[in-house]
Amino acid sequence: MHDTLQACQQAINQVLLGKQTQVRLALACLLARGHLLLEDLPGMGKTTLSQALARVLGLSYQRIQFTSDLLPGDILGTSVFDRQSSAFVFHPGPIFAELVLADEINRATPKSQSALLEAMEEGQVSIEGQTRPLPDPFFVIATQNPVTQSGTFALPESQLDRFLMRLSLGYPSLAAEKALLLGEQRRALLPRLEPLLDHARLAQLQALVPQIRASDALVDYVLRLAQATRSHTQFAWGLSPRGSLALLNAAKAWALLEQRDYVIPEDVQAVLPAVAGHRLREASDGSGQSGHGLVQWLLREVPVL
Amino acid sequence: MSNSPMLTRHALTWLLLAQALAIIPHLLHVPLWILALWLFCLGWRIQIVRMRLPAPKTAAKLLLLLLAGSAVYLSRGSLVGLEAGVVLLVAAFILKLVEMHSRRDGLVLIFLGFFVVLTYYLFDSSLLAALYSLLPVSALLTALIALQRPAGTLGTRHSLRTASSLLLQALPLMLLMFLLFPRIAPLWSLPVAKERGVTGLAESMSPYDMVELSRSSELAFRVTFEGPLPPREQLYWRGLTLEHFDGRRWSRRDSAFSGQVAPSWQPQGESLSYSVIMQPTGQPWLFSLDTPQHAIPRVDMQQGFYLQRRRPVDQLFSYQLTSWPEAVREAEAAPSNLRASLRLPAQGNPRARAWGNELRARFADDEQLVAYLLEEFNRQPFVYTLRPPSYGEEAVDEFLFDQRRGFCAHYAGAMTLVLRAAGIPARVVAGYQGGEFNPQGSYLQVRQFDAHAWVEYWRPGQGWRSVDPTYQVAPQRIEMSLQDAVAEEGSFLEGELLSPLRYRDRPWLNQLRLHWESINHGWQRWVLGYQEEQQLAFLQRWLGQLDGWRLASWLAGLAVLVMGVLTLWLFKPWQQRGTPAQRLLLCYERLLAQHGLPRQPGEGIRAYARRAARKLPEQATAIEAFSRYYEQLQYAERGDLSALRQAYVQLRRRMRRWPWSR
Repeated sequence: MHDTLQACQQAINQVLLGKQTQVRLALACLLARGHLLLEDLPGMGKTTLSQALARVLGLSYQRIQFTSDLLPGDILGTSVFDRQSSAFVFHPGPIFAELVLADEINRATPKSQSALLEAMEEGQVSIEGQTRPLPDPFFVIATQNPVTQSGTFALPESQLDRFLMRLSLGYPSLAAEKALLLGEQRRALLPRLEPLLDHARLAQLQALVPQIRASDALVDYVLRLAQATRSHTQFAWGLSPRGSLALLNAAKAWALLEQRDYVIPEDVQAVLPAVAGHRLREASDGSGQSGHGLVQWLLREVPVL
Repeated sequence: MSNSPMLTRHALTWLLLAQALAIIPHLLHVPLWILALWLFCLGWRIQIVRMRLPAPKTAAKLLLLLLAGSAVYLSRGSLVGLEAGVVLLVAAFILKLVEMHSRRDGLVLIFLGFFVVLTYYLFDSSLLAALYSLLPVSALLTALIALQRPAGTLGTRHSLRTASSLLLQALPLMLLMFLLFPRIAPLWSLPVAKERGVTGLAESMSPYDMVELSRSSELAFRVTFEGPLPPREQLYWRGLTLEHFDGRRWSRRDSAFSGQVAPSWQPQGESLSYSVIMQPTGQPWLFSLDTPQHAIPRVDMQQGFYLQRRRPVDQLFSYQLTSWPEAVREAEAAPSNLRASLRLPAQGNPRARAWGNELRARFADDEQLVAYLLEEFNRQPFVYTLRPPSYGEEAVDEFLFDQRRGFCAHYAGAMTLVLRAAGIPARVVAGYQGGEFNPQGSYLQVRQFDAHAWVEYWRPGQGWRSVDPTYQVAPQRIEMSLQDAVAEEGSFLEGELLSPLRYRDRPWLNQLRLHWESINHGWQRWVLGYQEEQQLAFLQRWLGQLDGWRLASWLAGLAVLVMGVLTLWLFKPWQQRGTPAQRLLLCYERLLAQHGLPRQPGEGIRAYARRAARKLPEQATAIEAFSRYYEQLQYAERGDLSALRQAYVQLRRRMRRWPWSR
């Protein structure tokens, strides 16, 4: 089982060069049944990452390009009258895929955003009075561009909280970029990726995550972290209980990827920037980009014991 | 200053309240313009808070300061000295109001406030004042706590509770300081404020001074007798002996004479033991029954058989005495000593002198002469009054032969003059007579209106003997009280309508007053009266014979004990923290720290071990083994402690560095 996970990572790393940590975090996010927010400039490989993940894990893939005129129906699907059967037939929207890439989520209106986010939270959608379950596994990768903010609707804190992790891929290293330039077209590599997992195996792996052992001492560390965000004045607000739960879950998934059946503080520290970065804000800052510095402070100052 | 946070409204409210509480008692003695200044500054401050007015500019502040300074100078005649200093302090305390910006200014105001509260004790150290000062002190503490809270946090009740718990916690320390803090006289004695000690016996006396004194109900001193209370007519409290007469006023012997040796006397008859707590008078003499023997340091008996301290009594003073009322005083006096008691003014009062000469011719025996003179006071229509007429140049003549209305000092002065004219050495004794017994506290309290003057004359072989002409005129004065003596006239405490002493005939009111006075007496006796000598006695009772070293070692031992208990209580070494594994981890960290590898707080065990292994490659396996065991134990919750301990012992054996093996 562990070998499969290793193989998955390797396969994705072949497509997305020099981003081992991010790939592993994205995988951890998926294993922990969370959703992922990718925040990066265009052309950094967000789409490639999501497509590669879908292929390697054997998931159906849909991409929704969010624009300001996108309507909830465009995401969820609509009923169309079928003359032959004289009845309305539901045409499922792109959301009914196992891995959904919501591209540039902050360009859509809040109404459309919340349609997606509600689906993420509930695992089902209600359309025309009928509740329809979303596929299982269901994994959303949303992307947003942090630079161009004009004409966008920034996700409010309450909705940011729905994402288990926020990642940014960042520029590749020199060596990776050189390999990229010299090598084959990456997109062409994608179809050649073999699915390494199927639904049953993935579900098995996801079921393993809650069984990873988190000892008392470790939970204490997570609590100390949460407490520190709540008691120090430089934090605009503290980590919510959902936040600390997410942190523990992500750490468990990370431990699984590390081939361990128990969590150690280093696991928590590995996922902390991705999990807590978008949930924290400095008291003196209004833009919401200060989470990173706070996370570094937490990593440095909160005693692991 | 700019980085100090602004004052919150909550803190400001408490500051204003605390300031008001601290200033209010001072209003009794500071000039009235202080009140105006306060209201002005308060108004300004409130307008600043409401953003209707700007904070004062530097020029305005300087102007205010200058105005306040000159007002102090104009009203007190100086900028230094006790009273001017206190007024200046209060003015500064008020001015700080308008130039308060930040928390730091608030702190300054609070510390000034504590000082202002303290200065009030210079004017009033009664129980009431002490109890009252709890109010401003609690308010100041609350303001201090409110000041330290960020805006929008917990409210008034919480601040108040913290303040009161702080006060309660300070109580044992206060008690300890009260008992042990050294009372070094020159350091802790302060000049008496003029408002205090204005009433009382002065160095020289005219009859009108005595009348003036009798209008005051202020306390002079309190006495506790060791045995039963002597009868009232024996309670003649000698203050000082006046020998010099200039025709109008009686005064002490010239100070040139004051260097003489103590007069001689022999104890005789029963003795009385008692202790006295004296209110501050600003004068050096003490009050005693005749003839006192004392062991009070720095107090001497003067030629006139009164006790005088080398320093004025400027705070409560308590002392113990034993007196022999029947003692023989100066049976064999040197003629030079008696000369002062025979001296008459060069002229004046011819009729009194003539009467003296006439009596001398009639009686050969001094005692008969004195007895006749006393009877004369009884026989002639003399009136004892608090409203004597004003006498002219020949005051004694007018009093003795024309008006015959007078107060005790008139009688004593006139009699002494006549005796001197008859060639008998005589002098006036000024002091107090009687007093009110308080059954609640079983002590006697003597007030200013108990002031009295009487006569003593000298007889060869028998020494000085006291006689009281007032007794002949108004025996009620001696046997009962001044109030009874002037009951018909209704002149008792005319000026003090509100004094509860005027209403002694209402039993419940009288009971209430006596209770209150008894409490006050306890306060003075046990708290204010706890001075250098009492402290020494107290310490000696507990610690045995005392010398400097012993006291110092006791105090040091006490300090160490207190600190030790506090340390134990704070750190609780008997409560081991964490699991055994965590304690081993601490040892491991300490061991590595000795090798220059302290652990960062946010560093995980694995990362730490990796860093240590890189730094100490030869210990790498042992370090990693420990880290692995620890991880297993702490996070995987399997494996056992003994393996971890083993790993630690191994590591320590390899790494221990003794301090001497560098």
